[in-house]
Amino acid sequence: MGNVFRQLFFCLLAAMHGLALGQAATLTFEADVRPILKAHCFHCHGEDGTAKGGLDVRLRKLLLKGGKHGPAIAPGEGEKSLLFEKVRDGEMPKEQAKLPAEQIDILLQWIEQGAKTARPEPDNPDDWITEEERSFWAFRPIQNPLVPGGAANPIDAFLLRRLKAKRLGFSTEAGKRTLIRRATFDLIGLPPTPAEIEAFLTDETPRAYDRLIERLLASPRYGERWGRHWLDVAGYADSEGYTESDAERGWAWRYRDYVVRAFNDDMPWDRFIREQLAGDEMIQPPYADLTPDQVDKLTATGFLRMAPDGTGSGANNAVAKNQVIAETLKIVSTSLMGMTVGCAQCHDHRYDPILHSDYYKLRAVFEPALDPANWRTPQSRQISLFTEADRKQCADIEAEAKKLDADRQAKVDFFINRTLEWKLRKAPEELREPLRAAYKTPAAKRTEEQKALLDNHPSVRQISPGSLYLYDREFNDEIAKLNAERKKVDAANAADKAEALKKIDGQIQYFRDSLTKVVLDAMTKKVADLRSTKPEEPFIRALTEQADKVPVTHLFFRGDPGQPRAAVKPADLSVVALDKNPIPQNDVARPSTGRRLALARRLTDGTHPLTARVLVNRFWLHHFSRGLVDTPGDFGKLGELPSHPELLDWLASHFMKNGWRLKRLHQLIMTSQAYRQISRRTPALDEVDPDNRLLGRTNVRRLEAETLRDSILFVSGQWNPRMFGKPVPVKEDEVGQIVVGVSTNDSSNRPTGKTISLGAEGFRRSLYVQVRRSKVLSFADVFDAPPMEPNCTKRTLSTVAPQALMLMNNDFVIDESRAMAGRFHRLARGRLDTQLGLAWETALGLVPSDDELAQSRAFVEKQAALFKNQKEKQPDLAALANYCQALFSSNAFIYVD
Amino acid sequence: MGIGGLALSWLLDREGLLGKSVKKEHMAQAHNLLPKRPHHEPRAKAMISLFMQGGPSQIDLCDPKPMLDKWADKDIPVKVKYDDAAGASARVMPSFWRYSRHGQSGMDFSELLPGFGEIADELCLIRSMHTGVNNHGQSIHALNSGRIVSGRPSLGSWLTYGLGTESQNLPAYLVLRDPSGLPVEGTWNWSSGWLPGLYQGTVIRAREPRILNLDAPANLRGAGQRNYLDFLGTLNRTHSSSRPGELDLEARIASFELAARMQTSASDAMDFSAESEATKKLYGIDDDATRDYGTRCLIARRLVERGVRFVHVLGGNQSWDHHHGIKDSLPKACKKTDRPIAALVKDLKHLGLLDSTVVHWGGEMGRLPVVQNERNAGRDHNTYGFSMWLAGGGFRAGHIHGETDEWGHHAVKDVVNHYDYHATLLRLFGLNHDQFSYKRGGRVQSLIDGQPARMVDELLA
Repeated sequence: MGNVFRQLFFCLLAAMHGLALGQAATLTFEADVRPILKAHCFHCHGEDGTAKGGLDVRLRKLLLKGGKHGPAIAPGEGEKSLLFEKVRDGEMPKEQAKLPAEQIDILLQWIEQGAKTARPEPDNPDDWITEEERSFWAFRPIQNPLVPGGAANPIDAFLLRRLKAKRLGFSTEAGKRTLIRRATFDLIGLPPTPAEIEAFLTDETPRAYDRLIERLLASPRYGERWGRHWLDVAGYADSEGYTESDAERGWAWRYRDYVVRAFNDDMPWDRFIREQLAGDEMIQPPYADLTPDQVDKLTATGFLRMAPDGTGSGANNAVAKNQVIAETLKIVSTSLMGMTVGCAQCHDHRYDPILHSDYYKLRAVFEPALDPANWRTPQSRQISLFTEADRKQCADIEAEAKKLDADRQAKVDFFINRTLEWKLRKAPEELREPLRAAYKTPAAKRTEEQKALLDNHPSVRQISPGSLYLYDREFNDEIAKLNAERKKVDAANAADKAEALKKIDGQIQYFRDSLTKVVLDAMTKKVADLRSTKPEEPFIRALTEQADKVPVTHLFFRGDPGQPRAAVKPADLSVVALDKNPIPQNDVARPSTGRRLALARRLTDGTHPLTARVLVNRFWLHHFSRGLVDTPGDFGKLGELPSHPELLDWLASHFMKNGWRLKRLHQLIMTSQAYRQISRRTPALDEVDPDNRLLGRTNVRRLEAETLRDSILFVSGQWNPRMFGKPVPVKEDEVGQIVVGVSTNDSSNRPTGKTISLGAEGFRRSLYVQVRRSKVLSFADVFDAPPMEPNCTKRTLSTVAPQALMLMNNDFVIDESRAMAGRFHRLARGRLDTQLGLAWETALGLVPSDDELAQSRAFVEKQAALFKNQKEKQPDLAALANYCQALFSSNAFIYVD
Repeated sequence: MGIGGLALSWLLDREGLLGKSVKKEHMAQAHNLLPKRPHHEPRAKAMISLFMQGGPSQIDLCDPKPMLDKWADKDIPVKVKYDDAAGASARVMPSFWRYSRHGQSGMDFSELLPGFGEIADELCLIRSMHTGVNNHGQSIHALNSGRIVSGRPSLGSWLTYGLGTESQNLPAYLVLRDPSGLPVEGTWNWSSGWLPGLYQGTVIRAREPRILNLDAPANLRGAGQRNYLDFLGTLNRTHSSSRPGELDLEARIASFELAARMQTSASDAMDFSAESEATKKLYGIDDDATRDYGTRCLIARRLVERGVRFVHVLGGNQSWDHHHGIKDSLPKACKKTDRPIAALVKDLKHLGLLDSTVVHWGGEMGRLPVVQNERNAGRDHNTYGFSMWLAGGGFRAGHIHGETDEWGHHAVKDVVNHYDYHATLLRLFGLNHDQFSYKRGGRVQSLIDGQPARMVDELLA
C-alpha cells in the first residue's frame, strides 16, 4: 500500500472514530483486530480445539505466546511480527484470497501501536463475546427516543429531521385518486372499484381519508393481503419439497387460514408469536375433542412445520431429518430474530456474536418436538380433529354399511346357487349330485376325482362371485329374444296386443332383475354411497412434543451430525439472553418441556432487542417498499444499518406499548405525511438521495405476482371472493406451464385427454392457489413469486421479456381480457365510449382524458376492422378484449404510485 | 447505472477497496443483460454445456484400464467407495468394449463413441475430475453451482450475471430440455438461486411450442399484435412522461420491445429450413436414434451464432446412471448423443465459432470398476475420479489431463475439483474467480465461495 494512500486511509479511519485529523486512532484488539482474525483465522487457529502450528489467535495474550514458530506479534514492531509477515505475503490465510490491504494495515498499525486491548482479556477465549460485539446496534435495548418537534405524526417528525439536515422536505400530498389506489393495494391487494373511488372523492369531510383506512382495515381482504406477507417469512407451502416427489401437504392450509384470521382479528403480535412457537404447550394433551381455541393454538404451530420435510416421502434418513431442523431454525431466526444463525451450525458466526454453541442451544429449544432419535414423519405428526361424536357417527354408518354388505353377500350366494343349479340342469342327471358336491367342497379339500370332474365341467368350476356377470349372457340372450318377439307382436297389431305386450314386458323385467351385474352393482353403489356420507377425517399439521421423551442435544463438531460433542442446554442466543428468564430444561409444571413457550415469552417480553425491531421493520417494508433496515432477514453485521435508527426504535417501542397491535400501526403509518406524498422524482431529491432512503417522496411500486393476478381477476369480473379452505389445485398444462386446474394425467404422467372443470374455484385469489414447490404457478413464477427454500424474507422484482410475453400471449391473460370485455360490452351495449371509459377506470382507477379516450377508440376501431377482415365472429368484442389486455399490460396497471 | 456500477464495483474490488462499502454496492443493484466488460480480455464468449446426467462410465468410454482385464472377475484388491452398499460387489468388471486411439493426439475412446474419435484433436479431456460427493443431487450442484447444496445460482446464471449477453433479441441463457423429462434436481439445474430472476435460464421445450407464450393468439398474429403493442407503447409513454427518472418503467417498455423481437428471433433460431441437408444429416436429424439430440445440438449452435451466452443441453433423468444392464443401456445412451455432439464441434469449428465457444461434455460423476448387481451387471457411482471434456474457447485441444489410479477409481494425478474447473472456466471468460462476486444481503457471494480453487493452467491453450 502506497504511503499517500495509507495517509488517506488513516484520515478516513480517524474520521470514522470521530477524531480530529492528525490524531491517530488507537486500535484495540477487540474493536479492530479480532473481527478480522475471527473472519479469516479462527477456523484453523483456535476454534474447536484446532491450533495449527500450535498457534491460537483468539486472544492478544495467545498471539503473544505464539506457536511453534514463536510469538505471532512483537508489540511495537509491526513489520517484524510473524502475523503481519504471513498476511502481507499472502501465505495466510492458507488457500484463501489474500486479506484486503486495509485489513493488513489495521493489523500492522495495531501491533505498531503496542497491540492494545480495550480491557483485560478473559482467561478462556471459548464462547467469548466482546463488549464491542454486545454493543452492536441490533443487540442494544430498544430505546424509546424523544420524538422531535415539528410534526404532528411522530413518524413525520423523525423523517423530517433527517430530511431537513439535507435541506430537503416532504413532497406534496398525492391526489385522492392516487391515495385511494395506493392505500387499497397496500391494505387489501386489490384495486379500488370506481364506486369506491367515487365515494372517496365526494367525501369532503376531514375524516374522509381516515375512514378510507378504517374501511380497508376492516375488510376481510386485509387478512388475505397481509397474511401473504407473513406466509413469505414463514415459508408457507402446500407440499413437502426435499424429494423429487414433492409430496402434497394435505392440511397446511389450516395454518394459512389461521394466519389470515389472525390478521383480520388484529391478534396482538405477542400472542400471535407465542401461539406459533408454542401453541401446543399452552394446552393439555391428549389432543382430542378439541375446542376451537385449542384447534387454533395447535394450528398456529404449523409455523414450525413449514420447512421442507422429505422424511415422509422417500427420505427418512439422518441427513433429511437434520435438514428439517436446520431449515426450521432458519425460518424462526430470520423471521423473528433477524439473524442468520445458520452460519453458526458449523462454527462461531464469522461476523456476528452468535456462538457455535448458541446454534445448538437454540436447536435444543426445538428438539423435543423435532427429535432425530424419535423422529416422526409428517404423516405421523398429524392430529385428528375428529370428536367422539364424529367417530360415533362414522361407526354408526359403518355398522349400517356392514348390514348392506351382508345383504349383498346373501344375494351373491343366492346368485351363485342359482347359476350352479342352472348349469347342473345342463349336465347329465347322474353327474349333477357329484358335481354339486364337488363344487361346494372347498378347493383345497377336493378329491382327485372331484377335481377331474370339475375340470370336465369348467362352466361349473368357474362360477365365482367375480365371474357371475359372465353368466348374465344367457339372460341377455333371453332379453334379446323377448325384445324381438315384442317387436313382432307390436307390428302384428292383434286384438290382444296390449295384454301380450304387457306379458312380454313382465318377462323382460324378470330377466333384467335377474342380471347379476345390474343387481349387484346397484347394491355395491348403495353401500358405497352410504359409506361416503361418513364425515371426512380432518387433520391439523402441528408441532408437538412426545410425552416423556426429552432428548439431549449435542453440539455437532463442524456441523456434522456424525460427530456429536458436548451436550448443550436450551437457551436463546447468548448475546441477547437474559438470566432472569432462563429456558427450562424440562418444565415440571407442564406435560411438555416448556422450552418453546419460554423462548416465545422471552421474544415477546418487551425487552428482547430483536423481535419488535424486526417486526416493525417488516411492516414498514410493505408500506414503503423498503425496510428501515434494508436486509429484513439479517440485522447482523453483514446486514444493512438502519437508515433511521431512532425511528425504528420508536416504532418498535410504540408498537409494544400499544399492545402489539398491527392495525393501529398501519393507521399511524398511513396517516403520516410521509406515506401520503407523491412519488414524483425531482432532480434536487435525486441528487442528494437517489435511493430515496430519506423518504422525501414515496416510491413507485410494481404489483407483486399474486396482486397482479388477483387484480386481473378482480377487474375482469371473474373473481371468486370465497375465503379459506383447501387450496385450488395446480397442474401442468399441455404446453408445460403450471396453471390452475385438476390434472387428469395417468399414473405415468401421460395426458388422458379428460378435463375436469374447476368452475369458479379457478378464479380465487392467488393466496388460495396451491403452493406446490415443484409446480409454481407459471404466471406467479414469471412475476417473481419467491421460491420457498425454506422461506423468503425479502422479495426481489425483475423486469424481463418473459413477463411481457406472458401479458401478450398467455391464455390466462387472454381469457381474462375476454371476460372483462364481455362484462363491459353487456353493461353498456352499443356505447363504445362508455365501455372504454368504464374499463379504463376499473383497471387504472383514473378517468381517461379526451385524448386518451380518442386514442382508445381509434385503437379499438382499427382492431375491430382488422378482426372483421379476418372473419372473426364478434369483431367488436374481440377488439374490446384486446383493449382490456392492453390495459392489463400497461404500466399504469402494473405499478402503483 | 448497471454497467457503470458493476464495472466500478469490480474495479474497486480489484483495488481491494470495496471492503465495507455498502453504498457502492447498491449502485450495482440495477440489473440488466447488456454486455458487460469482464476483468480481462476473454477468450471465450459463449458456452454450450452438454450435460450427461447420471454419470457416464469413464471406464467404458474414455479412460481405458488394462488392469481390469487382468483382474477380470477376481475380487478387487483395493478398497472401493461404494454408494449403494446393498448392491456392492468386489468383482472386477473390465469394459465390454474395445478401445482405440484417435487423431494426432492419440486420445482413447471406446468403440461406443466413434464420433468423439473424429473430434479427438479438438478436445481437452480431463480424466481426473473429482467432486467427492457420491450422490447425484449433490454432485450436480457441485459442478453446476459450485457447492453441493441446492439454492445457489447455476453456472449459466453466473456467466450471464457477469457478462450479460451479446444478443438483445434472445434470452441470455437458454436451456434445452430432454423430451423424456428433467434431470435430477429438476429446475434447479438452471436456477438463478439468489441472483435476480433475470439471470435464470429460459427453457426451450423439447417439443413445439419450444418457448412458451411466444406465439400470439391466432387473431392477433401479425398486424393485430403490432397495433396492440403500438397502443400499449402510447399508454406507457404517457404514463412515464409524468414519472421522469423511473427506470423500471422504461425497462418494462423495453421488455415488451424485446419480447416482440424475440418472437421473430426465437422462431428464426428454431427454424432449420435454411440449413442444408448435409448439415441436418451431419447432426443426425435424419436418424430416429439421433433426431432429438441432433436437433437440440443444432439449435444450440444457432443460438450461440446469435449471441446467446450460455446454452444448457440437458439429458434425461438419470440417462447415464447405469447401475444395471450397462451392456445394453450404455450403447443406447452413446448412440443418441455421439454423432450429434461430434457434429456440433465440427460445425462450430467450420463456422469459426469454436475458438470463442466452450463446449462441455460430462456428467456429475463416473462409475466404478467393479460389478454392481450380479444378475444384470452395471456399475455404481464414482465421484472420486471421472472424466469430462471441454473443447474450444481457449481450452487446449488434443490434450489429456490427469489420471485415475490403475483401477479407474480415484483421480491420482493432476486432480481437478469442481471449483478448479470453475476457476479455470471463469478465467477463459475474462473473469477472475476471486473477484467475481455478488453481494447478497450484505454478504459477498461467489461461484467458488472461498473453496481453495486452483487455476489449471495446463488445460489452457
